[in-house]
Amino acid sequence: MSTVTSSTEPGAMPNVAAGLSGLSRGRSVTNSVMTVVVYAAFLLALVPLAWILWTVLSRGYTLLLDQNWWLTSQRGITPRRVGGGAYHAILGTLVQAAVCALIAVPIAVFTAIYLVEYGRGKLARAVSFMVDILTGIPSIVAALFIYAVWVTTFGLQRVGFAVSLALVMLMIPVVVRSTEEMLKLVPNELREASYALGVPKWKTIARIVIPTALSGIITGVLLGLARVMGETAPLLILGPYSASINTSLVDGPMAALPTMIKDNFGQALQPATDRLWASALTLILLVLLLNGAGRVVARFSAVR
Amino acid sequence: MKLTLPGRVAGLSLVAALALTACGSDNTTGDSTPSAADSAASSGPALSGTLNGEGSSAQKNAIGEVISGYQSANPGVTVNYNATGSGAGIKQFLAGQVDFAGTDSALKSEEKDGVVETEAAKTRCGGNDAWNLPLVAGPIAITYNLPGVDKLVLTPSVASQMFLGKITKWNDPKIAALNSGATLPATDIKVFYRADESGTTENFTKYLNGSAPADWAAEPAKVWPGTTGEGRPQTDGVAQGVKSTEGGLSYMEWSAAKDNQLGVAQVDNGAGAVALTGETAGKAVAAAAAAGEGNDLKLKLDYAVKDAGTYPIVLVTYEVVCSKGLAADKTALVKSFLTYFASPDTQKGLEEIGYAPLPEDVRGKVVTAINAIS
Repeated sequence: MSTVTSSTEPGAMPNVAAGLSGLSRGRSVTNSVMTVVVYAAFLLALVPLAWILWTVLSRGYTLLLDQNWWLTSQRGITPRRVGGGAYHAILGTLVQAAVCALIAVPIAVFTAIYLVEYGRGKLARAVSFMVDILTGIPSIVAALFIYAVWVTTFGLQRVGFAVSLALVMLMIPVVVRSTEEMLKLVPNELREASYALGVPKWKTIARIVIPTALSGIITGVLLGLARVMGETAPLLILGPYSASINTSLVDGPMAALPTMIKDNFGQALQPATDRLWASALTLILLVLLLNGAGRVVARFSAVR
Repeated sequence: MKLTLPGRVAGLSLVAALALTACGSDNTTGDSTPSAADSAASSGPALSGTLNGEGSSAQKNAIGEVISGYQSANPGVTVNYNATGSGAGIKQFLAGQVDFAGTDSALKSEEKDGVVETEAAKTRCGGNDAWNLPLVAGPIAITYNLPGVDKLVLTPSVASQMFLGKITKWNDPKIAALNSGATLPATDIKVFYRADESGTTENFTKYLNGSAPADWAAEPAKVWPGTTGEGRPQTDGVAQGVKSTEGGLSYMEWSAAKDNQLGVAQVDNGAGAVALTGETAGKAVAAAAAAGEGNDLKLKLDYAVKDAGTYPIVLVTYEVVCSKGLAADKTALVKSFLTYFASPDTQKGLEEIGYAPLPEDVRGKVVTAINAIS
């Protein structure tokens, strides 16, 4: 209501009372129509979400209840055979994401620190602009760039580490932006108090600014990680599928959940179809787990 | 206090990662040692390592079975095959990304897009020739989706016109004339073709061009030349298209048609309608002429073949390997894997899943070639 009243003139206070007692018909109709539209839009947005979750859950859950799903690979399992698990793909997805985070997080966090604490003038604007461009890069372009560098220029094999590199390009802008927002939230008074005590700038950042914003930064990292884990384009170009366990990032094809889904996609036979849904559900669960972890970290270590 | 948080997170993930890597297993069948029969199949010292292949989706099911059997006989070896299509497979082989390529059409010696495949393969193999070894014979089925029509006979001429959109209804008199007993519905013919570069497309257009040149004038190519209908990616794509569309018509490997339980047309090349079986298709492979030199075993199929009981549309998928020039450990793996692939038992097992076993004389030549790889 306040927005409605604020548009009226300050001297017209009696009008507000009149509006409250007897709302004009046109307004009340508009109000109920808009309420219905808003709720309908919300429900409409919810339909595909609930639908997807229900479909994947109902078709995929049976295999997940078997402990072999979590402990064995697909080695020697053909589309017409039941059995095997997703261990190789879960391992690949987690290892590739972990290595990606290991590279991306320091770069992204330091970039954000530069932008918030040091960056002034042209260079900072250029960096900020570049991060915006990076955000807009489609994942397939990042993958092709890494392919051009890794395979075409250096003649190296398509391995898990190349996938991680492509994921790094996708993760950096996400983490830079979220970290930047978190650092901006740190009150300036904290920094000034620190300076007043004679603490140098780097120590202020390391001991005051970062710890204050830490929970937000971790949440941002986990959300960024959850986003890159479901990325498929880099895997299609840089990560051939393997049905066996491969723990090496630099030697041979490494499976990942999205490529496992693709490998089983379109197969007409029931065992493969079951595995398709089960691996999709596994990927959703992994991403959900990371998202959940992000929220938990945010809750239990809120800025104090 | 607060600084310990990242430490805790890192520690937790490290423990989780260690726990995870410790407990996985590649043993999906439950037995820890290969059975006596399996170990007899693998002669010599135990091999280990990884062999990577990529290419034709036409042989995906066949090579999947072969890999499965080979790996249980050789637990130390991992063979990966990514079915990304013949074109992609050859490109990756030429780029040195994979150890062998699976392809539906042998390497070309003519220039195309500035690349002569045989020359590029020679460079990739350190100056040695790459050989095309036919290992899987897969009949191409003309598949249709017409509920209630169990038997459909087509001639190459009528099939060409259907795929070109010159015949648009299933109850067209030209189709009805070939199928006197059947009641054909008045539905539209919905053609599905491969949108990607495909050896299946190339072999199928070779067949149409070779057996009905008057109706199919386009040169055989990996890219579908027609404009009628809808393009779908890869074998799975066209199979799904036909499966989900009444009146659908497409061409695909027999194994995909079997898996999807699609209707398969009988083909009349002039000597009566022939149903597609392992035996009728095998006859076409046996009738093929050798087109390569020495151990390069390119086959030239006679698509206009009129022998009674021979199913004429057959696709031979090759494994492209370096005759020499791979690292010694890779060479041993390639030889061992291909020997298993070409063994009579393996070939016989392929018939069950929709492939035709190699005729004995072709198989003999393949084995000789494999032994000559060094």
